[in-house]
Amino acid sequence: MIARARREKADLVVFPELSLTGYKLRDLVEEVALDPASSGPFRKLREAGRGLDLVLGFVEEKPGERGLFYNAAAYLHRGRLLHVHRKVFLPTAGMFEERRFFTEGRNIRAFDGPFGRTGLLVCRDFLHLNANYLLFADGAEISITISAAPGRGVSSAAKGYASSRMWELMGETVSRLTTTFVLYCNRVGFEDGAAFAGGSFIFDPFGKLVAQAPPFESDWLVADLDLSLIRKARKAWPFRRDDKPEVTLAALERIVRSYDD
Amino acid sequence: MTINAPFVEKILTGFIKEELAKAGFRKGVLGLSGGLDSSVCAFLASKALGPRNVLGVIMPYGRSFGGDLKDARTVARRLRIRVETVDIAPMVDAYFGRHPTDNRVRVGNKMARERMSILYDVSAREKALILGTSNKTELLLGYGTIHGDMACAVNPLGDLYKTQIRQLAVHLGVPERIRTKEPTAGLWAGQTDEGELGLTYAEADEILVRLVDERASTAEVVAAGFAKKKVEKVAARIRASEFKRHLPPIAKIAPRTVGHDFLYAYDRDK
Repeated sequence: MIARARREKADLVVFPELSLTGYKLRDLVEEVALDPASSGPFRKLREAGRGLDLVLGFVEEKPGERGLFYNAAAYLHRGRLLHVHRKVFLPTAGMFEERRFFTEGRNIRAFDGPFGRTGLLVCRDFLHLNANYLLFADGAEISITISAAPGRGVSSAAKGYASSRMWELMGETVSRLTTTFVLYCNRVGFEDGAAFAGGSFIFDPFGKLVAQAPPFESDWLVADLDLSLIRKARKAWPFRRDDKPEVTLAALERIVRSYDD
Repeated sequence: MTINAPFVEKILTGFIKEELAKAGFRKGVLGLSGGLDSSVCAFLASKALGPRNVLGVIMPYGRSFGGDLKDARTVARRLRIRVETVDIAPMVDAYFGRHPTDNRVRVGNKMARERMSILYDVSAREKALILGTSNKTELLLGYGTIHGDMACAVNPLGDLYKTQIRQLAVHLGVPERIRTKEPTAGLWAGQTDEGELGLTYAEADEILVRLVDERASTAEVVAAGFAKKKVEKVAARIRASEFKRHLPPIAKIAPRTVGHDFLYAYDRDK
């Protein structure tokens, strides 16, 4: 796939959550955990990824944190590891059980990428308003979410899965109200009987849908992103200029201090 | 309750194809009763795997249920899937000849298990996987024979209520005769599911979707206009049949135990 992307002159290839291993790992987590600095698969990816950028998902275990496993996303810039984001919000309810097997990430931050300031999120992170806000406050212009979201609900009222609506709604909202490119890559296929919903999408900083993959089916979604739209959107809608993180911080400190249970 | 039938068809044919391929199989085998569920499953399997990779096994008890036999053959012919017939009367009669009983549930369960025993043997001979045909209504009400019709390798229909299977059947073009006939497990002559359950599938499904999918309390379902007796009966059946939806519990002794904390997806490594 990376070779094909290179042939088609892609600058950035995004793979879904836990794309190196598959999603439902359970007791396999410890067997597939990697240190990106030293692991064989990452060495291969650094070679394969020369000349373009990759975002992918893996289980991270660093030498200094043995026995702690993170559901992580990596950004490789022309074969060089630029950033790792560890999933902060691990869904653990209903059909999800991530907190049984993974350690929660503790940070959400943007980094300087080749196409602008960039942020990574993993699946459920994206459904939390504060995760998106933190990337925005940290200056992100491009927000990339890798996902393994199952499809649920097949009512005649929807063209695909009912559950996909929530992700699209967030994509449109975040892109428009943070004047950010939002890239969302979700996987397809079945694991343990459950289907992943697909439906990957890209919204531009005006909240306009640039491209979307169909629900449930695999797809090769390629889109040209006009990066000049970031500046245009931020001029037209100065949410970034007018943001007041210090007000947010003060209010959050007050709220957290007031916990009294 | 109303499904997007074309989308569900896509999901379920994808499921059948992918689950078989992951396990290293190309062929599927299923029991064809001439009823709605197995007909829908045959239509899906035929689309997913190609008709030549689907084998329908018709397993009548002697000459009973002649109409259903004809319907099963009609489905097989329409789909151009392979079909074979195995009469279970000699095996079932041999057993009950030596261990007679008047209990028709025992006889019905024995027949269901006899059929599944044959299906497993045929699946080994054919290098095929068994496609299950238990629907969500049956699974939740426990209206099935454990290790009988509830057994299978993969079940494409288990998250669709009977009402939704009817909708899917219309979309798939299942013959009207099959879609409109009275559902029966065929446990004995004149037996109907709805007669035995004491409520119609339409009623059961409306109650189930509220109790299970919407997680409403029985009081809330009654307040929504459903008969208290029926709601309580459905809720009681769900509770009483919990064991049918699990593998048998294993007494835990060791630090790591199958069924407790030895945790893998069934398709790990696939």
